[in-house]
Amino acid sequence: MNKKIFLVPVILFFLLISIFFYLLLIDRDPSELPSMLINKKAPQFKAESLFDEQTIISNTEFGEEIVLVNFFATWCLPCRAEHQFIKKLSNKPGIKLIGINYKDKNEITKKWLNEMGNPYSKVGVDKNGSIAIDWGLYGIPETYVVDKNGIVQYKYIGPITKKTYKQFYSQIKKLKK
Amino acid sequence: MKKIKLYNYLIGLFLIGATTFSLSVEPEEFMKDPKKELRAREISKNIRCVVCQNQSIDDSSAQLAKDLRLLIRQKIREGNTDKQIYNFLTERYGDFILLNPPLKTSTIFLWLFPFGLFVIGFFIILKHHKKSNIN
Repeated sequence: MNKKIFLVPVILFFLLISIFFYLLLIDRDPSELPSMLINKKAPQFKAESLFDEQTIISNTEFGEEIVLVNFFATWCLPCRAEHQFIKKLSNKPGIKLIGINYKDKNEITKKWLNEMGNPYSKVGVDKNGSIAIDWGLYGIPETYVVDKNGIVQYKYIGPITKKTYKQFYSQIKKLKK
Repeated sequence: MKKIKLYNYLIGLFLIGATTFSLSVEPEEFMKDPKKELRAREISKNIRCVVCQNQSIDDSSAQLAKDLRLLIRQKIREGNTDKQIYNFLTERYGDFILLNPPLKTSTIFLWLFPFGLFVIGFFIILKHHKKSNIN
């Protein structure tokens, strides 16, 4: 009996080891960050429009079609790399793109969009980054998918790339059904 | 001679380390009321920097960490309690932003498991001790 009890730590140890191995082997990204917004109403926001300072962009944008809210800046190189895929998405039917220009200069952004093409139906300005904090942003670029009911369904952290575009778009297609 | 050089390097390295630490919270961020500033520092120490994830925003010089430090100070100025500020942050970033995970049903295993192990270990030792005493 008393010898058997010494098996307990051995068994516990192997249990622990197998948990570690399991976590190593499954397809998992430990740096993936949780989001509080998923399945919740999109946070309230108000942003001055980049092209018309009199206009305010807000939550009234949601509710008719699927909206992608893309945080970007001209000083962010991954955003530049991502831009072609954002443009690709803007050509798809039933999707509206809202850009939030994060801590940037209006004039430079206008120039940048002129040069690279403007896929956004509206661009809001987030000068001090407070809108970003309300959306729980980790870093730019970041893209949120808001469904027809104004609920955030998906959040994509980092630049959309050739590799991840398909997977990202399939998430949106699911919502269209 | 060589020894002195090595010392110099070590002291230099130490100083570099010391400066980067103290530079995270920038002077222009300080609040005028030292009591409030202390509160802001205490909260900042418990908030994870989401950019460099194992640092608190008090230690981090990432831009987003600075934004959050300023936001905490603004909230204090507006008269928010510590709890309200923590709530504001967890509503947006989840419990992940707290460096100390809160005690909840989903984290109860995390909190109690070490004590459980301790109790099990204690009984094993006790049993073993009794046995060896008899022998």
